[in-house]
Amino acid sequence: MKTVTINPKNCVGCRNCEMACAYAQTGDSCARKWANIRVVNNVPMRFVMPMTCFHCEEAWCMDVCPAHAITRNEQTGAVVIDQSRCAGCKMCILACPYGNIHFDHEAMVSRKCDLCGGDPECVKHCIGGALQFEDIDEFEERKSRSINAKIASLLNV
Amino acid sequence: MSEEKIVKTLCRMCDDHCGIDVHVKDGKVVKIEGNREHEWNHGRLCIKGSHGVEMIYAKDRIHKPLKKTENGFVEISLEQALDEICEKLGKIRDEYGARSIGVWKGEATGFAQEEELARRWIHALGSSNYFSNDSECSIARLIGASLVYGRWSAQPNYPNSRCIVIWGSNPPHAHPNMTQQINAAREKGAKLIVIDPRYSAMARQADIYVQVKPGSDGALAHGIARELIAHGWIDREFIDNYSVGYDKYEAYVQKFDYAYVSGECGIDAAALIPQIAAELHKAAPRVAIYVGNGLEHHENGINNIRAVFCLDGLLGSVDAEGGNYFSVPSGQRSLTIYNERPLLEQGPIGVDKYPVLYDYHKECHTMTLMDAILSGKPYPFKALVMTAANPVLTNPNTPKVKKALASLDLFVVRDLFLTETAQLADYVLPAASYLERSELHTFSGLQKIALTSRVLQPEPDVQDEYQFFHDTAHRLGAGEWFPWKDEDELNEWLVEDCAFTIEDLKNNPSGYHYAEHQFQKYKANAAAGKKPFNTPTGKMEFACQYLKDLGYQELPEYFPPRSNASPSAEYPFTLVTGARKVMYYHGRNHNLPGLASAMPDPEIEMNPQDAERLHVASGDVVRVTSAIGSIEIPVAVMQEGEIGVGVVQITHGWKQADVNRITHDDRFDPISGFPLMKAVQVKIEKV
Repeated sequence: MKTVTINPKNCVGCRNCEMACAYAQTGDSCARKWANIRVVNNVPMRFVMPMTCFHCEEAWCMDVCPAHAITRNEQTGAVVIDQSRCAGCKMCILACPYGNIHFDHEAMVSRKCDLCGGDPECVKHCIGGALQFEDIDEFEERKSRSINAKIASLLNV
Repeated sequence: MSEEKIVKTLCRMCDDHCGIDVHVKDGKVVKIEGNREHEWNHGRLCIKGSHGVEMIYAKDRIHKPLKKTENGFVEISLEQALDEICEKLGKIRDEYGARSIGVWKGEATGFAQEEELARRWIHALGSSNYFSNDSECSIARLIGASLVYGRWSAQPNYPNSRCIVIWGSNPPHAHPNMTQQINAAREKGAKLIVIDPRYSAMARQADIYVQVKPGSDGALAHGIARELIAHGWIDREFIDNYSVGYDKYEAYVQKFDYAYVSGECGIDAAALIPQIAAELHKAAPRVAIYVGNGLEHHENGINNIRAVFCLDGLLGSVDAEGGNYFSVPSGQRSLTIYNERPLLEQGPIGVDKYPVLYDYHKECHTMTLMDAILSGKPYPFKALVMTAANPVLTNPNTPKVKKALASLDLFVVRDLFLTETAQLADYVLPAASYLERSELHTFSGLQKIALTSRVLQPEPDVQDEYQFFHDTAHRLGAGEWFPWKDEDELNEWLVEDCAFTIEDLKNNPSGYHYAEHQFQKYKANAAAGKKPFNTPTGKMEFACQYLKDLGYQELPEYFPPRSNASPSAEYPFTLVTGARKVMYYHGRNHNLPGLASAMPDPEIEMNPQDAERLHVASGDVVRVTSAIGSIEIPVAVMQEGEIGVGVVQITHGWKQADVNRITHDDRFDPISGFPLMKAVQVKIEKV
């Protein structure tokens, strides 16, 4: 099952992912408040990274939802909110360890990444290559390859 | 209901030309995505790219020719518009001479041909007055690089680079998918050095980030050169065999010690310069130095740019694998007729003041044009045809630009929208968008050429540039220069001398790879008895006799910017303008509600210490005043470190707070004629 993977070393904080997400969600606005993916830009720490739902295998947001509004889409593996069932209790926001669920102050319901039905717009708009849509095994393999290169250069082999 | 089909072509929401998949259903574009097979963007697009759909179908797009009357604009037929325009052009030509007519190319519609067609058209009409946005953007880098080593590498060979220096540019916002190329090299171990007065998006991933004062880049470049020379980290073989003027240059840079550079640049040079020099040395010659627009808009612009390109000479990274590579041309024919009809005797506007600008890029000077229109000197200038430019927002000194353009006898604008500039026109003609035309585009860094697809048929009164220039030239007795029926026939002619055909390009919609990369061609040139470099001496020039003969400095001498040399008590802040925002393209896209919702309001970027001193918070409105004028604009207080103390930044393109009302059209780089737009002395008051 593919998921959105993140390499903070390639993120430049351009926020194209946020704009694309917001537009995919609303159809008429690129405003950041509608984005389910959010870029963290901490200048003193010189740290920048997009954050979006990881679609946990054991999704605490899903477990805690009293309205059973959060389910897993079997086709995409995405943990999704049925906004027509959401009671707006915000427990999912409290339960998410990463702050990846947001509250829609107009509809008064929670909102989160749904992987755009299996073709996430954030990844297609990531011009730095920090976001990929891939199987987690592919991510592991790429990460291991880049570490190999680093070790090789340090050992001068 | 028809099936959805995908047409591959190139994006033109900016000048990067990413590969796109245009989804078409029932004759309408329903979605634009990145082309995953395209080597430049690998399926990725910035937010502008996917919003091409919003632009194509924008409610305020012009579909019919407009003529200005006492009651405002009225729609007329295309035939009537072309007839009337040509009749007026003919009369003006008869009365004042051909040189009273000019053409001005912008950036909003076509691909590379738009420029050459405009040049051809105006010379065919008998005038040499070709203008464009280029006389205040990008061409100063071409001139700087060409003065040093005869070419400009607009796309360094990032994939093979071991150290990338991004100097005065912010690729994630200015050339979005260049970021992928840079990051791919970083993943293979390349170091990234970013030099910029702003902690830009690119700076966020830099191994070394240097926050220089605006306009002090030349001092830093010379400081780095001095360090490289002191350590002997220079390519002696290259310098001895392929350069001139090295000894003078070596002597000159000695004064750029840590203390001097620290003072000029506002940095800890003793800490930073050894680090930078060591990284360059380790990576040489695989060092890719990309110079951005940030160096151009200064009174010392060209010499600062030359100073940076001289580093390529020291490191031997000129045309090297992983360095500032000179692409092999595709062999495409040129449309310009400078050999057939040079028309220099007519005195192209600005050539007397800025001969280098004309020598190196055949550009007339748009800032001088405004004075010429208003004063009638050196000769009457009466008519201008402009294709998709918006100088009311993008040229310095907006009030003068508006006054000048509005006073023309005939002002014709071709555009997709009734822009701030088009509103001043006598006739506005609807232009074909990038999806309604078919042109060639070369990716120089990749050595690929592509033919763009006419995804949509333009509406009856909407023309591409070729059709417009063709139809008007034929009406004005210059039809012989435009013999091709349409742009398809023209495309065939353009590639006739090439080793490939239009069919090859149609079969390779993601780009046709026309040549292998060939590095260090100066060696092959020398071996073949040719000039190694395309400079007057045939060598890389640390010292330039051509400039000396014109009365300029032979060496890339550093002159401190006014903000350093003579700080003003009245105007204590240094204003940088023109930092790119990814959803906009200069004056473009502000009329598209979806895109504009990402950043609806203009802002002045300010250091938190300055904000505290001025007692302002984010959102508070301040008045910013220069010697030219004044604007009011909301404050955006940045995080500490994002912009220097005493430095502020405003991006151009917002009509409600148009920063070019306060930029200078009276202070120029003396060599390129580029205006001072990135170190404007201003005062700031809370409103």
